[in-house]
Amino acid sequence: MTKIDRSKVSGATRRTILKGAAMGGALAAMGPFVHGARAQAAKRVVFATWGGSWEKAMREAWFDPFTKKTGIEVVTVSGNTYAKIRAMVEAGKTEWDVVEVNPDFQWIGKKENLVEPLDFKIINSGDIMKMPGLVTDVSVPQVIWSKVMFYNTKAFSTDNHPKNWAEVWDVKKYPGKRTFGQRTSSGALEAAALADGVPMDKLFPLDVDRALKSLAKIRDNILWYDTNAQGEQFMTDGQAVLGLVPDGRALSAKKNGAPIDIEYNQSLMSWASMVIPRGAPNREGAMQLMAYCVSPEGQYNMGMAYTYGPIVQKAYEKIPKDRAATLSGGPQQQGKYVMTDEQWWGENKDQVTEKFNQWRLG
Amino acid sequence: MAATRAAGFARARVELLVLPGLLIIVALFLYPLVSLVGISVYEKGDWTLRHYQRLIDVPAYVRVLQRTLVMGAATAFLCLLLGYPLAYRIATTSGRVRAALIAGILVPFWTSLLVRTYGWMVMLNPQGILNKALISAGVLDSPLTLINNTTGVLIGMTQIMLPYMVLPIVAVMVRLDPALMRAARILGAGPVRAFLRVYLPLTLPGIMAGVLLVFTISLGFFVIPALLGGTSDILLAQLVEVNINSTLNWGLAAALSTLLVVTTLILYAIAHRYFRVSALWGDIR
Repeated sequence: MTKIDRSKVSGATRRTILKGAAMGGALAAMGPFVHGARAQAAKRVVFATWGGSWEKAMREAWFDPFTKKTGIEVVTVSGNTYAKIRAMVEAGKTEWDVVEVNPDFQWIGKKENLVEPLDFKIINSGDIMKMPGLVTDVSVPQVIWSKVMFYNTKAFSTDNHPKNWAEVWDVKKYPGKRTFGQRTSSGALEAAALADGVPMDKLFPLDVDRALKSLAKIRDNILWYDTNAQGEQFMTDGQAVLGLVPDGRALSAKKNGAPIDIEYNQSLMSWASMVIPRGAPNREGAMQLMAYCVSPEGQYNMGMAYTYGPIVQKAYEKIPKDRAATLSGGPQQQGKYVMTDEQWWGENKDQVTEKFNQWRLG
Repeated sequence: MAATRAAGFARARVELLVLPGLLIIVALFLYPLVSLVGISVYEKGDWTLRHYQRLIDVPAYVRVLQRTLVMGAATAFLCLLLGYPLAYRIATTSGRVRAALIAGILVPFWTSLLVRTYGWMVMLNPQGILNKALISAGVLDSPLTLINNTTGVLIGMTQIMLPYMVLPIVAVMVRLDPALMRAARILGAGPVRAFLRVYLPLTLPGIMAGVLLVFTISLGFFVIPALLGGTSDILLAQLVEVNINSTLNWGLAAALSTLLVVTTLILYAIAHRYFRVSALWGDIR
């Protein structure tokens, strides 16, 4: 039961972006000669995914039961990058019906006019948890997941490890490297603000300058990871003793015997979204599939197939207790997390990235 | 008369052979390049210079450009330092030694960049093979920090770029007449003087080609600094990637790319003016 391999996601992303961008141009040039198979499209939905074990879980929890119910086949493709969505839409040749994205795309995609509005007569969003931004007029959530503090159990015992970010910032009491993702929205800035004493319920809108000042205090003790796999590796072989990673990453490493444990306190909750790219060949089918994914049945299936948490409370009614306690947002995490303000990120990522880069350059 | 006309046709037909290459360059290089510049100045139906304005207003961009140029130059310098003696060995030996040396250069060259970068991560980390070996041999007391800092980036980039330095230098060295060095020695030059006055100047075109290749290609790196670098190791291509993929700010990404292309062309023009780079392409006057 490993989770989404986000490392692969960003790895593939970086290697293929330029190709993706180039493809946009090529597609645009070829436009008139490429004929879509719109006539046959009604009986299938093309779903662009992050791939890996997560895609397998989706097939089992969502796609197969959905096909059985509706007769609509779900075809998956990989490489669901924002750049490809934009290239496709702008070339006027959208081939994808559903794309799974990070939630900031709900706002970025809408601003760039790359997504279709959803019809909530087809999708019943009534059961979905009431949290700001979880449902928008262009997106529905899939699952929730979080970024958690993790630590090396050879360095710190279960009784004597940092229990909050302020303690993680105490490099005298807890010596060793801290590992964070080097992308602006990896959670390092939020952790830095919390470490500096910003209360959990006042974290957003994020005081970026304060967060960077706080981050500067441990600047020489940070080991930046580019992919989540790298962060997991730093922790596993002891190069880092504390850090912040997606919960599924830490859970799967722990399960594979790595000397890693999780502290759920002050974790950062987020979610994954689904959107329909503008001009999708089968919007109707796409919305039917989305409806199934967010149904209590679909959410229960996913809770049993993967460690990401349901976005529908009802799904917990049937999930066994020990299983529930491993899921993102499960009972073990209640009262211990902050909901990431993804709208704030969607609207501010540009400027925050510039400030963060400036800080990094020193 | 008829013979000259036939020769003229023949020449024209030979020139036609250039056409496919020319078409490919126009379609796959010039057209995308022009569209790239277009994206940076034309947005949603309007001409704009706001992306360039931003490059000027936010100091991080100029600093990243500087850093990118310095890292490219440093990589070229390190490759030259390591590559020149190596090229000399390859050019002056033959048989098995030469084959082994060339294989030693080319095999990593054919290996995926990502695989080699992960290899360095295994080799260089504080608990890695290199540090463990040096500590158990008693050379070191505590591990060296060779990775997740600028040192790591330079090690990774130098290894990957080395073939681009060695191969053009070898190509020039093997064409040199060994009699020239003998003549210099017979005429009374010591080994150092003969090298500095005869050998080095004659291999300069190879050096220039190597330095230009390594420097220009190094400007586009983003996997190595991302994986082997530290807090302040950000290169321009990483910013392009973020803007294309993560914030969807293609205008700014295009402006950054244009900035890099223009800077490279300016540097090339300077090199051309002062170092006669055109000699590389056979234009010897």
